[in-house]
Amino acid sequence: MRERWREAWPERERALRWVIAAFSAAVALHADRLPPWCLAAIAAIVLWRLFAAVASLALPRRLIRLGLGGSLLLAVVVQFSSLSGLAAGSALLAAMGAVKLLETRGRRDHYIVLGVSLFLMIAATLDRQGLARIGLYAAHLWLCCAALAIVGTPDARLPARTAFGLAGRTLAYALPLTVLLFLFFPRVQGQIWSLPAGNAAVTGLGDEMSPGSISQLSESEEPAFRVTFEGAPPPSTSLYWRGPVLHQFDGYTWRRELGRVYRSARLEYEGPEYRYRITLEPHRQRWWFALDLPVPPQQPGVFFTFDYQLVSAEPVSQAVSYELVSHIRYRSGDEASLLARRIDLQLPTGRNRRTLEWAQRERAAAGSDAAFVRRVLEFFRDGGFVYSLTPPLLDLDSVDDFLFRTRSGFCGHYASALATLMRAAGIPARVVTGYHGGEWNPIGQYLIVRQSEAHAWVEIWIDGRGWSRVDPTAVVAPDRLQRAALDRIAGAEGAADPLIAELDTLARIALTWDAINTWWKIRVLDFDLGSQLKLLRGLGFERPALRQLGWLVAGGLAAWLLVIALRFGRAPRAARGDALARGYRSLCARLAAAGIARAPQEGPLAYAARLARERPDLAARVLPVLERYALVRFGPRASDAQTRAVARELRSLRP
Amino acid sequence: MALPRAASRHRGSAPRERLAIASRIRAALTSRAAEWSRRRQGLDRFPVRIERRRLYILPSRAGLGFGALWLCMVLAGLNYANSVALLLAFSLGGFALVGMHHCHRNLQGLRLLSLTAAPAFAGEPGRIELLLENDANLDRHGITARIGDSHATLGTLAAGAAGRLVLTVPTARRGRLAVPPIRIATAFPFGLFTAWTWLHTDATVLVYPTARGALPPPLATSDRETGEHALAGGNDEWSGLRPFRDGDSPRQVAWKSYARGLPLVVKEYVGRSARTLVFDYAALAGLGTEARLEQLARWVVDAEARGQRYALRLPVAVIDEGRGAVHRHRCLEALALYA
Repeated sequence: MRERWREAWPERERALRWVIAAFSAAVALHADRLPPWCLAAIAAIVLWRLFAAVASLALPRRLIRLGLGGSLLLAVVVQFSSLSGLAAGSALLAAMGAVKLLETRGRRDHYIVLGVSLFLMIAATLDRQGLARIGLYAAHLWLCCAALAIVGTPDARLPARTAFGLAGRTLAYALPLTVLLFLFFPRVQGQIWSLPAGNAAVTGLGDEMSPGSISQLSESEEPAFRVTFEGAPPPSTSLYWRGPVLHQFDGYTWRRELGRVYRSARLEYEGPEYRYRITLEPHRQRWWFALDLPVPPQQPGVFFTFDYQLVSAEPVSQAVSYELVSHIRYRSGDEASLLARRIDLQLPTGRNRRTLEWAQRERAAAGSDAAFVRRVLEFFRDGGFVYSLTPPLLDLDSVDDFLFRTRSGFCGHYASALATLMRAAGIPARVVTGYHGGEWNPIGQYLIVRQSEAHAWVEIWIDGRGWSRVDPTAVVAPDRLQRAALDRIAGAEGAADPLIAELDTLARIALTWDAINTWWKIRVLDFDLGSQLKLLRGLGFERPALRQLGWLVAGGLAAWLLVIALRFGRAPRAARGDALARGYRSLCARLAAAGIARAPQEGPLAYAARLARERPDLAARVLPVLERYALVRFGPRASDAQTRAVARELRSLRP
Repeated sequence: MALPRAASRHRGSAPRERLAIASRIRAALTSRAAEWSRRRQGLDRFPVRIERRRLYILPSRAGLGFGALWLCMVLAGLNYANSVALLLAFSLGGFALVGMHHCHRNLQGLRLLSLTAAPAFAGEPGRIELLLENDANLDRHGITARIGDSHATLGTLAAGAAGRLVLTVPTARRGRLAVPPIRIATAFPFGLFTAWTWLHTDATVLVYPTARGALPPPLATSDRETGEHALAGGNDEWSGLRPFRDGDSPRQVAWKSYARGLPLVVKEYVGRSARTLVFDYAALAGLGTEARLEQLARWVVDAEARGQRYALRLPVAVIDEGRGAVHRHRCLEALALYA
């Protein structure tokens, strides 16, 4: 079969075979992102080209190619409704590369398709840089480089092995330079331009919350972010990871406050500070999570809002990593501003009437805000409330329905109800969403916070203390916050999850893999100018600066070039003949030292004859060897074993 | 020694339209570079070893494209702070630089053994044969020699092997045509760089006048010294045998007697045509110099093809009657160099 394929393939199209292989591999890197019709079209074109090469068919005319290219372009525009996104751009590049295959005649076209293949690889890395894919990228790079060797020297007809060997060795020599440039080539801070991110749905926190509409909470085990602490982590009950803060309530849905901003009083941090680095998975939203409550970071492109959220200028479309300082205790002023009161006391008129009546009655009975809060929490604890991940749906007066009918829900229900009750009693309240807790990875010494740990709690304003956290879920289901196994049974997506809990080795493997990935993410993927300057400091530079990076790059490049030049720059060593010739030469040299040098015009047999005449003492041992040498060298073709044996004799003979 | 042989190809066969001006500029630049290298390195005496100081290297057109692509990759990697893209792009950069050294090494130390140029008639391409030897311990690949539009490539020149490259030069006028500088280049291994050297030789292609003219050859005359001996076919009379002399055609040899162990003898005939033709420059009065030389060349070629004996008389030289390849060459050479 293989032979037949070889025969069918015209030799002059050999380079094309490699080009097609490299291009197909490049498209395969995008296989999970390209729409199926696009993959099918590319596959069809590639098969067409292969068939045309094997059957020596004429390639399609210019008009057909233009039509094909145009319709593919149109299809991409229709599919993505733009050409500027990453997915649209990749699809377009792949489709155009395929059309280009249909007009590959000369070397130039081959180079162009190889260039497209290389650029598709870079496009694939832009949003997928996981450790598992690195091997794929490296293999593709190797293939493309080998194809370059085939295309670049078509007359040499390099065998595949040679081409791969050549490309592999060349890449290996490039490795030190790669590491050097990676470490010291100055990185740019911030983006010069940006591609619009795709709108693929990614699990995570949304920017609104409608507890009544969810009857089953998905418990995804996807990691949301990972945290590495400098020093000891805070107690696990304090691990509140602050996300979007919701102010607006229409009786059913909580939303973020857009447009109105109230001035917050000066924050006073108390207690120990915690330094940590968060590596955030892309969630296509603009907020960053932080341990409640972070000190505003001095970082361009990130803002600390009036309600203490961290919001970045760009949506998080690829993993980001940032360092923060937080305190778990703080005071936020004595008196709430008027605007704050207006926003955080707002309730929809005519909704949740029973709740409002109940709150006003109980507030009056309690006598003080603090007593009222205690009263509400007791109500949650003793009122027959159940923590459930599969709560019944609620009607439009969702809080009434929840408090007085279903009494079953998860954190969002409790937070929503508590905030409504507080507002009804005249206490400013807002809902904070985020995550709580996290799983400690003992292998990598960091915390994994998963989507299943999404949480919602309430902040209420207490005069004299400021915003204070109240977590009703902690009252209803204290176990929930201790990460009881119960949490993860209902509605858990991964069937493998209980297995992980049971099987220690599997868990170990999973955690190890996560740890390696995290190392990769923090050390390699998030290596930026800051890391470079830190590295310089580690290398002993007092005041790390860009200029020093430049010097290091220049010096390292020069050193590498010198090594490469020494390795390859010298003229190739002249061949010194085969083993037989070397052995003969060395024997002649020894005989010359013994006083009878071979004349330049003498062949081995003439030399042997003269030896026999002039030095009969040596002749007995030397003669047979010289004769065997003449036979192997000039006689009928000798086997390799014979040749080796004679060469050994020549070398070892001591006159 | 088996010599791998590369066919000579003409570039004009690919009908790719190029701007005439651009190609003229390129040709001018190329000849400037050749002149410059000639001044720098002088005339070459075979055998020539390609040393570093005469070896030049620059990115090829594909290499420039690759460079632009590489720049885009690095910019994308920097802009998106994408470490993986940067790793891949930096690898590719190093790859290209190592490839540059491979390219340079592919020519360095190559030995050029000899150059032979066969004579040609004006208007026909002159054939130039370049003999190369790779006495190094590594294989060399994709070595191209080029003169003007003619180029030839050796796919692989294995370690210790020798190879032959055949080129052609266009000939326009008779005389000695100096072999133009030969550019020996390689794009191995990845085609991103081109390394090249210039070979300047004092070799010449002897260009015979075009064999042209419709005048009938002069009547054969009897020759005083050797009598009416010549070879002819058909109904000529057999006159006897004589010993073999250099220049005799193998067709005249009496092979049967040779096979019986007798010395090599040649059969001789006497006939109407068995007389020596004398081609005289002076007899062609009424034609211009070049036309006369062309006509004489025509007669020489035809007479040789028919196996007749002929002599050539020029105002500056007389070539006695004779026959055979050497004689023909002497006559045509005299015509080619006639001043």
